[in-house]
Amino acid sequence: MTRGARLLVAAWLLSLGACGVWLYRSLTLTTDLSAFLPPSATPAQRILLGQLRDGAASRLVLIGLEGAPEDVLARASGELARRLRASGQFAYVSNGAAGANRKEQAVLFEHRYLLSPTVGPERFSVQGLEAALAETYRLLGTSAGLLVRATLPEDPTGEMAQVLRRLAPDGGPDTRHGVWFSREGRRALLVAQSRAPAFDADAQRRVVQAIEEAYAATRPVAGRLLLSGPGVFAANIRATVDTDVWRLSLLGAALVLAILWAAYRSAPILAVSFIPVATGLVVGVTAVALGFDKLQGITLGFGVTLLGEAVDYPTYLFMQARPGESLGDALARIAPTLRLAVLTTVLGALAMALSSFAGLAQLGVFTVAGVAAAGLATRWIVPAMLPVRPGSPPAERGLAWLDRFAGAARRVRWPATALLLGALALIAWRHDRLWDDDLSSLTPVSASAKQLDRDLRAELGAPSLRYLLVARGASREAALQASESMAAWLAGAVRRGWLSGFDVPSTYLPSQRTQEARRAALPERDVLAARLDSALRNSPFRAGAFAPFLDDVARARSAPLLDMRDLDGTALAFKVDSLLVRDEDGWNALAMLRVVNAPAELAKEASARGDEFIDLKAESNALVVTYKNQALRYIALGLACIGALLAFALGSLRRAARVVAPTLAAVAIDVALLLLVGKRLSLFNLVALLLVVGVGLNYALFFARRHADDEEKRRAQRSVVVCAGTTLSAFGCLALSRIPVLHEIGMTVALGAVLSLLCAVAFADRPE
Amino acid sequence: MRILTEAAATVLAAGLVSVAAAAPSLDAARLMQTLATVRSASASFVETRYSALLKSPLLSRGTLSYRRPDRLEKMVVSPHKERIAIDGNRLAIDSPAAGRREIDVGAGSSGVAALIEAVRATRAGDLEKLESDFDVVVSGTLDDWQMRLRPRAADVDQYVVAISVWGSGARLRRVEVWEASGDRTVMEIDEATD
Repeated sequence: MTRGARLLVAAWLLSLGACGVWLYRSLTLTTDLSAFLPPSATPAQRILLGQLRDGAASRLVLIGLEGAPEDVLARASGELARRLRASGQFAYVSNGAAGANRKEQAVLFEHRYLLSPTVGPERFSVQGLEAALAETYRLLGTSAGLLVRATLPEDPTGEMAQVLRRLAPDGGPDTRHGVWFSREGRRALLVAQSRAPAFDADAQRRVVQAIEEAYAATRPVAGRLLLSGPGVFAANIRATVDTDVWRLSLLGAALVLAILWAAYRSAPILAVSFIPVATGLVVGVTAVALGFDKLQGITLGFGVTLLGEAVDYPTYLFMQARPGESLGDALARIAPTLRLAVLTTVLGALAMALSSFAGLAQLGVFTVAGVAAAGLATRWIVPAMLPVRPGSPPAERGLAWLDRFAGAARRVRWPATALLLGALALIAWRHDRLWDDDLSSLTPVSASAKQLDRDLRAELGAPSLRYLLVARGASREAALQASESMAAWLAGAVRRGWLSGFDVPSTYLPSQRTQEARRAALPERDVLAARLDSALRNSPFRAGAFAPFLDDVARARSAPLLDMRDLDGTALAFKVDSLLVRDEDGWNALAMLRVVNAPAELAKEASARGDEFIDLKAESNALVVTYKNQALRYIALGLACIGALLAFALGSLRRAARVVAPTLAAVAIDVALLLLVGKRLSLFNLVALLLVVGVGLNYALFFARRHADDEEKRRAQRSVVVCAGTTLSAFGCLALSRIPVLHEIGMTVALGAVLSLLCAVAFADRPE
Repeated sequence: MRILTEAAATVLAAGLVSVAAAAPSLDAARLMQTLATVRSASASFVETRYSALLKSPLLSRGTLSYRRPDRLEKMVVSPHKERIAIDGNRLAIDSPAAGRREIDVGAGSSGVAALIEAVRATRAGDLEKLESDFDVVVSGTLDDWQMRLRPRAADVDQYVVAISVWGSGARLRRVEVWEASGDRTVMEIDEATD
């Protein structure tokens, strides 16, 4: 190593180290999707993302126990609930057991006169009392008599029953052996709300572990534990990603190493081959961290994919250097082409970096900085570390078959043309069914996990997550009042059959105005006592039977209003938390809807009433479409820049076309093949296709460049074949993944690499 | 004097023991075997609630019907029509007035369900089921027996202190429920079994 080279390598190591230290200390990685919101996001979309991010509903864990006799499951359910409560990881745990709800029942009973919708001035008139007592007497003669009687002296007008009636959702789970069971009694059901937010995959993993350990400790004779919910998904995805990514990355790396070993038979070359991509990764992350508050998880994932191109740069260099040749000399020969290879990618990503859309901008910045750094590392650091290419000419003879491959493939020009025309025809025919804009197909959750979630949700009577109504208010009180007017018209909608039921926050926590009105309707003790006496005169109840009632009403008259603090630690607090959401503009009261039959009518009525009807599926899909359209626009702009750069650098439009055309042809055939196997394109395919464009341009550049002699040309073509081989291996392994995202990206890029090679051979090669 | 009393007591106790030995004492298992021979049963009943809150006891009438192994139906005819049916694990309560829900099934049904289950499990002669929900004490003879049930679960004994069932052979005659509220309900049954 020369002195200059030593200095260079030292400076490079120092700056990488500095970046590393700085990143370690200041990098915040976030999976908060709001950075991916377009600047024009609607309030509905903000609510949607807020709910996904840390809404109480997103912290819900649905638990099922099955595969053992009912009584065994019921005992396990009780034991599990007890252990989960003791673990401290949960804000709320319920298995339907009445004992566990005692605290809740006590809160409701204490505040029944503030909560019951029947409380009003007429209720406590003589006639009102007579009617209420007659109804209570009737109930005493039914199967409910036992329950009615338990609180009869305190609550002769049955206000508690009124409160419970509105709380009890129809279609909730059955109670067997005192705990929740699915209809056919196959599964014991529980719900828990984790304290940790759903998006914190590591915390959710601990939550899942806590549940699994608690379950193991209950020692059921047989049986299975089923878990679902957003946090469980996050934890499972993280676990699968960890195992899948490690396994497949190792497999891919082993294959790539094997290919490179076959090509070079030199350990030093293998070692330095990874310098550019590693440098690009560190620099890319640093650039994003410098330019933005937080690094998006998605940026990192997509960015690493796009950096896949940088693995090829040292391959171009080493494959085109002769054994024993100085790398400086080889670089002098291929530098113009390598520079174009780097610049085309940088320019393509630069357009994206200028997007006002934070998610796209981050991806652009990452790619620009990462690819540029990888290019510079190939140009300067690799030759400084390894000035002369090791290896011997005899070892290279084994590579002659690559030349036959590159040469023989020229006969494929016409078949390739036919393939391209077929692909274009298919794309034109399917142009309206090209894209998959369903957000849910972007989630890496397996179909069976989604099915389990639907089953448990249905069995627990949890509301559908598709439709929401929102009533807004500047303050919490205003939102609660808005929630009450929304509940009033929704009750009418239920009678008309538009939906089967709803859940609003004011049911659990009425507005202060309503509570005050109810409190004001309670008569003074003497007045009430006199009216009760007249009401009792002709009733079957004894005079003096209801002294506790008089005490309770008197206490309620002077007691403070029901507050969020009173609900702490109960399922009611959990309900209010999930249904009353604050954002920067004020408060949103959400109505969860059950079995919506007439969404169009609901939407119309809601807008007439000043409430907002949200179809979450439509909103989230609109979000994906916005992102995709933005991305397409910037990609088109990037391609135009690349075309201009190539025309300028190569000195002619025709030569630029010979580089661009094979790349676009490869992309078109890639897309057509994906469509042919029944796929639609998602954002992941789009990012993968960007990488295909990146590597494809490089292949075409090296095939189309002018070469001094046949030997040089052979070397250039070999380098491209090796590059295509490594890309195919690395991404082919990803295509084996069970995670849809990785599978999609892997498949698109692996296909794209092969097709890019084919098209480069067919369309970019200069005829002799 | 004291010695005399003790001697008298001993003699008396010995006499009682021999009386008990003469009429074979009944254990729960044997009673259940007898009850389990019944394939179906139907009865009319009169149920009376005695309550400190009421000027006079509240009476209701209706019919009971049972079919092996686990179907029991209680039809109340007066003063208000109501049908309570338990079949397998499903408890259904219908009444003309209940186009609306009157109780929270999730939180409160264990009280009602325990009552109906006590009658059904007794009728079925299912000792295992009875003993999983109650402490069971049987006394009397097979021709005139009494069974006392004390609920084990906390969410049941919040409402019910004890249930007593009287019967002759395989027939049920009377079910009494002592409620935690101090009320008592007595159901007199006139049963025909098959």
